[in-house]
Amino acid sequence: MTSHKKPNSHANISCAEFQEQLPDLFAAGGNGLTEDTDLREHLKTCENCSALVRDLQYIADQASLLLQPTHEPSDNVWKRIQAEMDSERAQAAQPPLIPKIK
Amino acid sequence: MDVQGLQMTQNTSAPGVYKRNPPIAGEAEAIEAAKNGDAEAFSKLYALHKRRVYTLCLRMLGNVSEAEDMTQEAFLHLFRKIGSFRGESAFSTWLHRLTVNLVLMHLRKKGLNLVSLEETINPSEEDAPKRDFGSRDLQLTGSVDRVALERAVASLPPGYRMVFVLHDVEGFEHNEIATMLECSTGNSKSQLHKARLKLRELLRQPELSNQPAGLKETAK
Repeated sequence: MTSHKKPNSHANISCAEFQEQLPDLFAAGGNGLTEDTDLREHLKTCENCSALVRDLQYIADQASLLLQPTHEPSDNVWKRIQAEMDSERAQAAQPPLIPKIK
Repeated sequence: MDVQGLQMTQNTSAPGVYKRNPPIAGEAEAIEAAKNGDAEAFSKLYALHKRRVYTLCLRMLGNVSEAEDMTQEAFLHLFRKIGSFRGESAFSTWLHRLTVNLVLMHLRKKGLNLVSLEETINPSEEDAPKRDFGSRDLQLTGSVDRVALERAVASLPPGYRMVFVLHDVEGFEHNEIATMLECSTGNSKSQLHKARLKLRELLRQPELSNQPAGLKETAK
């Protein structure tokens, strides 16, 4: 039997086909890989796609570095918040307007 | 490659969010006191959360002046609504969701139609990530620090940056992002994937580390 391997393909699927599945595979935490032998085989044998997956996973992991805040608002922000809160508190403390009785 | 060892990132629901946003010492007491109108307690909550709220606004908007305005709006909104916080999620998660919604509302008011995310803030052809079927040069693993990543994120097209910040940094799930951005879950997954591909491309350019940060730290 003649093998008809697709260009850039490893096992039964091509790199393009493998990479099309990546958004869903990542969203599922890689669960699709354990269920799909073609995907698993491709990842095992394709150096390019395995490097891609490794890099994308690395980027996703490194994103937690950005959780630590690095920027700080100027002091004016708090001053403006305080002024607005004081004004709203003062408004809330005012007695309600009583309609005039004729 | 060891397939079994592959751990593709997936955000979990509440426990994961608590993991990212663990309770802060003294926060619970400050929340209760602020609910009862204690001004000092509210100022403590501001001090505890101002950096993360502001950084989130800055990443989403890419502009200092707008980020400060939205930080102000977020805390004023918090002042008015803190009574409705029931502790079902971490306080910071609740506050960040409130902030994200305010920023998105602000962007919509500015005319950015987030309903058709792909059409309005999808990048041009040259900004889109290139497909990778052959290059085997630089590997990223172990080579990226926080500063380089911050710069790369700042230079992402807005739609990619939004989804990357919400999912990978803030820890929101695709269904939450889809609701917030009024797009489909599939769209959120696809935008995130393209964002990571674009980041990979940017981080593999050595000159990126020498560029100034993309966030505009200009004076107001």
